[in-house]
Amino acid sequence: MASSDPDKLMLKADKQTKLSLTRWSADWRSATALYEQAAIAYRLAKNYEKAKEAFEKASKGQEMLSSPWDAAKHMESAGSLAKELRNWSEVADFYRRASELYIECGRSQPASDALTKGARVLEEVVPEEAIKLYTDACAILEEDGKEQMAFDLYRAATSVYIKLEKFTDAAATLLRWGLAADKCNATNSQCKAYLSAIIVYLYLHDSTQAEKCYNDCSQIDAFLRSDQNRCATKLLSAYAEGDVEEIKHIAQSSTITHLDHVIIRLARKLPTGDVAALENNASKEQEEPLDENDLT
Amino acid sequence: MSVIDLITRVDAICQKYDKYDVDKQKQLDVSGDDAFARLYAAVEADAEAAAQKAELAATEKSRATAIAMNAEIRRTKSRLLEELPKLQRLAFKKVKGLSKEELEARSDLVSALKDRIEAIPDGTAGVSGQNGGSAASTSRPGIRFDSTSDTKFGSEYHQQTEESEGFRQEYEMRRMKQDEGLDVIAEGLDTLKNMAGDMNEEFDRQAPLMDEIDDKVDRAASDLKNTNRRLKDTVTQLRSSRNFCLDIILLCIILGIAAYLYNVLK
Repeated sequence: MASSDPDKLMLKADKQTKLSLTRWSADWRSATALYEQAAIAYRLAKNYEKAKEAFEKASKGQEMLSSPWDAAKHMESAGSLAKELRNWSEVADFYRRASELYIECGRSQPASDALTKGARVLEEVVPEEAIKLYTDACAILEEDGKEQMAFDLYRAATSVYIKLEKFTDAAATLLRWGLAADKCNATNSQCKAYLSAIIVYLYLHDSTQAEKCYNDCSQIDAFLRSDQNRCATKLLSAYAEGDVEEIKHIAQSSTITHLDHVIIRLARKLPTGDVAALENNASKEQEEPLDENDLT
Repeated sequence: MSVIDLITRVDAICQKYDKYDVDKQKQLDVSGDDAFARLYAAVEADAEAAAQKAELAATEKSRATAIAMNAEIRRTKSRLLEELPKLQRLAFKKVKGLSKEELEARSDLVSALKDRIEAIPDGTAGVSGQNGGSAASTSRPGIRFDSTSDTKFGSEYHQQTEESEGFRQEYEMRRMKQDEGLDVIAEGLDTLKNMAGDMNEEFDRQAPLMDEIDDKVDRAASDLKNTNRRLKDTVTQLRSSRNFCLDIILLCIILGIAAYLYNVLK
């Protein structure tokens, strides 16, 4: 076990893998071992670029040795080094590849964990990519029936959407969260997710959407019987009456305080825009269909 | 037939033949058409009774009974004062057989009766109560004990002692404090419920993980036990006495040969 210059190790390993006249089949076993040593040495020397390459090659070697688990582990290390190098597209690629390898092993939890790690790294810089990674991670867990683990991911995805101000997408994610909670009978989380979705719609100052959402959610028994349902009814009726004080008072109530802090911030900012105008629109809309009926 | 049956029968018969009772009819006739006179007589009789009771209460030693009687008097007073507007209305009605002066006299009579009723002492302090009464009458809009139409009586009617005033205020303060305390408790319970719900879900999430860990650890433990047993077998085999003796004998032979060679070569 020569602990010599990692460059030399790399050269040796490369020689062992390159096919030529004298070598008819690559010796992956020893090559992989050498690659791993070189990678660790590079990392200690803080030579991230070379370390990343070494890890990539080691991972490929492990794949050839048909041990996808080790290959995936090396890919993750490569990904974290790419993060140091701020090479964001590579980060995403590496973590995706690691996740695929984990799925090959048949282990869904580490697969989604790998995607989550990548997403967390990319949250600040490339949020869209991060969201894609989060949703893919959720999909992996749901396929495997492990929705319980997906809650944290949904939460993270929602907060990224809200930071990006893509509120409809955030509300859609919340509803999917509610669905996942429903599958594993986590009624508390489910009701909280639905209430958060209604609040997001209200924050968009879109009371029709909020009402539609509320109607959809009311069809679910567990939500109908919950505290959150009462809070939602109060909120929507306060909106219908255009009572700003009441809305603010409800936003301070304890039911809303128990939601995710991102949602609490939105709720504290309610009502956005002119509630009285909303009320007028709502009543006007109610009058028009009556007219049509009269004509016909 | 028992005594009770007798009494009931007698009552029934009397009621039936009441209309033939001349004296009673005469009495009724006197005030029959005159509703005012009837009502006036009734109110006056009640006022007299109330005044007598007030005198009794003044001489009463036991404070509790005094208070009870005063309450009774107050109730009667308020009832009578309620009847007064009716009386007023009747006073202006024209009744046959009465002169104009008597009509006017009637309204005076009504007001005099009113003063008399109000003058009946009902155990509340005079001067100081008047000042306290006006403040107290506005403080409790919700619950009314005796009177419903007390706006007519003015603020002097709600004469409260200072004691009862203070007591009432303390009661209010304590109730408010209790409400605040209950609100705090309610919020705390809300938080607890939320935390409990989350903990429940977390446990649900971790239970299958623990089961997996349990399985894996069991498997690892049994593997380890197997390995240990095999190792022990191997080592015992290696250290069995027969091999040991063989080793010693062979070692001695080699040493002997080496010594022999050494001797020869020397």
